[in-house]
Formats: sequence, structure tokens, C-alpha cells
Amino acid sequence: MIVFDKVTKQFPLGNTGLDEVSFEVEENEFVFLVGPSGAGKTTILRLIIKELSPSSGTIVVDDLDIAAKKFSQNVDLRRKIGVIFQDFKILLDKNIFENIALGLKVVNFPAHKIKEEVKKSLAFVNLSHKEKVFPSQLSAGELQRVAIARALIGDRKIILADEPTGNLDPKTSWEIMKIFKKIEGKKTILFATHNTDIVNSLQKRVLVMKDGRLAKDQKKGGYDL
Amino acid sequence: MNEVIKSIKRTPYQSLAIFLILFFTLFLSTIIFIALTFFNSFLGYVETRPQVTVYFQNKTSSSQIFKLRDDLTSSGKILSIKYISKDDAFKIYKDLNKENPLLLEMVTADILPASLEIYAKKPIFLPEIADYLKKQAGVDEVIFQKDIVNQLISITNVLRFTAIIFFGFLMFMTVIVLIVITSFKVALKKEEISLLQLLGATDNYIRSPFLKEAAFFGMTASLMSFAIISLAIVHFNPFLSSYLRGIPTLAINLYLYTLIVWPVNLYFLLITLFLSLCFGIIISTLASYLAIEKYLK
Repeated sequence: MIVFDKVTKQFPLGNTGLDEVSFEVEENEFVFLVGPSGAGKTTILRLIIKELSPSSGTIVVDDLDIAAKKFSQNVDLRRKIGVIFQDFKILLDKNIFENIALGLKVVNFPAHKIKEEVKKSLAFVNLSHKEKVFPSQLSAGELQRVAIARALIGDRKIILADEPTGNLDPKTSWEIMKIFKKIEGKKTILFATHNTDIVNSLQKRVLVMKDGRLAKDQKKGGYDL
Repeated sequence: MNEVIKSIKRTPYQSLAIFLILFFTLFLSTIIFIALTFFNSFLGYVETRPQVTVYFQNKTSSSQIFKLRDDLTSSGKILSIKYISKDDAFKIYKDLNKENPLLLEMVTADILPASLEIYAKKPIFLPEIADYLKKQAGVDEVIFQKDIVNQLISITNVLRFTAIIFFGFLMFMTVIVLIVITSFKVALKKEEISLLQLLGATDNYIRSPFLKEAAFFGMTASLMSFAIISLAIVHFNPFLSSYLRGIPTLAINLYLYTLIVWPVNLYFLLITLFLSLCFGIIISTLASYLAIEKYLK
């Protein structure tokens, strides 16, 4: 589903974001991406959603060669991917329903089906009773659940989570992980995190990044830098 | 429509600024358009008037007039000559003053002079023809309109040139100001745009609300400016009617259609409104497009 082959990313000021990183993520696989700050975790995610282009190497996402110079299918690519951020990126002037519906509206989902889909999605993250509430009235954990609902809606195949529990207390973090457990095996998930407990407890595949290089690739690893 | 109203409520000052600059531009542009159309049609009207008109004394017989007409025709410098007898002149006079019986009572065919309306083949023959006519016996007065036509042509050219320069500057200034103000609006929605891009929104989807809002402002400003100008035209209509008395119609010839400008009529107003709407919508959406495009790139 996701293939990185000797991918290097040099930033304009000369610092190296990634240095010949190669790995492969199978369809519906759950992979943790760990490493200290600046190790290249976010760069990998930004390359996958084509917010950045690699300096060299090949990146294939769901059969799309996104590193190709002539690649122009950003919209198609991004419609396959749901992204969850540490800072939620919820629009404050839209209510919860509208925030989640955005994920469908941008893909021209039939208008009459949007309501039904959003309600299903809200039920999935246990926020059915909050659809008309505005973000300022929600807790951090609830906001992250809204962000997850938005990322999942519209049958996106790949979920990229960039430290989604980074701003949450341990209890709320585990509530968020319960939602990820529910979608495990149904979506390809790349989960960047610093949370030792979560990585060690779930015993999933772990890609360990260090100084822009892939230091370890463990099938059932723990948080071992 | 709901989205447009929401957006206006979120950024009321920027929205007001956009509306005012568009209103100002469209108001001036519509006035320039109407003024130029009037001047052009008036020039066209004057150009179709006889280039030299010679009025004869009462004692001059029609045979003398016909002889003079034949002499002129045989000179090879004349395009056409129209003879207006005393009776014809009286008919024209009656027609022009049919709403003023007092003036009709005071005038009879006897006191109106017979005349010749002369059109030359080339304007350079006009002074020569006028001089020749002034020397003829029985001629009372020679009216030579070349100077008036030339003056009108030069005034219209200056007006047209000034209007084009002014209009160009106005357009440029408006687009720049609109781009700046819209850029503020875009900057306020920077996060939302980034998010939409990440969710897989097309550029058109992102542009759409900005363009809809711009079209709304263009349309509203255009309608408002047109309404005010229409009221002004209605208000000044009696004054214009008395000023243009004797001129039945003023029109401009478009390629396949003759647009009647005076008397003010529904078609002329509708065409003005249509052009104003098109211009308002195009200028506002163009500026929005450029502002959002800069951000999308």
C-alpha cells in the first residue's frame, strides 16, 4: 500500500530530513512510527500526503508513483488518505457536524447521504450527542475524536496519525487508542508517536527513525530508541 | 447564499470595503458609459444634419431657388440637395410645436423662409459652397455647420480618450484594491484552505465560495449603482427633454442593431444594466480569482 524506496529529502537550507529511507507497509497494516523530535517522522507523513516532494527515491502510495516529477494527482491521492494531527485542526467557526461533513463535501459525496454518513461516523467515535456543538465547547479528547471521525469518513484507505495523543492525558490517550483498535485491520494506519506506553502495549510493527534514517524495523516491537 | 451571508458576517469590514470600491467603480463606469453613448449618438445626429443650409428671402421665387439648386448640382461637388418650401417648413414647424398651440397661432407659412439643405461630397467643399451661396441674390442667411461638427468630433474624441484612460486606471486601481482586501479574507481562512487541500479538495472547490461572494458583491454593487443612476435620469428627464427639444431620437449604430439612446427607453436602460452587471461580476470575480490563485500556488 505504501512503498518508500531509498527516499531522501533535503530541505532548502541544506539539512537532511530523510536519508535513503526504505520500507513497505502492507494494505490494512498498523505501523507505529517512533523516534525523537526531528528524526523524520513528520517528514515521512508529509511526503505521503504530497505536502513535500522527495529529493530522490521512489514513493508509491496505493499504486500511485507520487515521487514522479510529472505527478499531478494530488487530489486523487489525498482522497485516499485521512490525516489526524496533534493539534486536531478543527475549524472553530463550524459545528461538529459541519467539521466532519467537510471530509465528504470535498469529494462531492451526494448531499442527501452526507447526514447519514456523518451520524454513523459520530456514533463510531461516541459523539452522537454533540453534532450541533461548536469545537470551543469540547474537551481535547473529544476534539481528537472529531478529527478521527473526519479522517475516517468517506472510506479513506490510509490513515496517517501525527502524534494524535501528544496533547492528551494518558486516560484520554487510551480512549483514542480504543477507536484505532476498532479500525485496525480495516485501514492502513501509520501512527507517529512518542507515547511509550501505547507502543509497548499494542505490540505492532514499529519503524524507528533516528537522524533521518530508518534505524529499526521491528515486526512486533516496542518503543526502543 | 447562506455561505455568502455567513462569510460577510465573519468579515464585515472587508466585505463593506469590497462593496464600496465596487459601487464607486461601477457608478462612475456607468455614468461614463451613458455620457459617451449620448455624445456619440449626438455626434451621429449632428453629422446627419445638412452640412450647409441656405435660407432665402421672402421675395425669392421658387424658380430662382431651383436654378441655384441646379447650378450647385452641376458643380460636381454636391452629394444631395433637399428643397424645403415655405409650406414644408411650416409643416416641420407645426410638428415640432404641436404641444404649444400659442406658438402655432402666431406663425403662418408666409413668414417661414424656403431653404435648401445641402450635403457636400467632401467636407473641403463646404467653405467654397458657403461662400458661393452668400454671394447669390435672394439669399437671406447661410448656415454652415462644419465648425460645429468639427468641434463636436474633437470634444467627443477628447472625451473618449480621457474616458478610456480614466476607465483603465479605475479598473487597475479597483482590481488591485480588491486583490488586497480579498487576500486578507483568504489569509483569515488560511487554516481552512490548508485543511481542505489535505482532505482532497480541488482548487475549484476552494475557489468557489470566494468567487460566489465576489459575484454577489459585483451584482449588488451594480444593481445599487444602476438604481441610483436610473433615479437621477428620471429626475433630470424633464430638463433633458427641454434641452433636446427638436431632436426626435438619438441613436448609435451597433453592427446589427440600432440602439436608441434618446428618449430614454427601457431597452437602453436594460442594456446599461446588463453591461454594468457583467462588468461588476467580471471585475470582482477576476480580482478574487487572482487573490486566491496567489495563495493556492
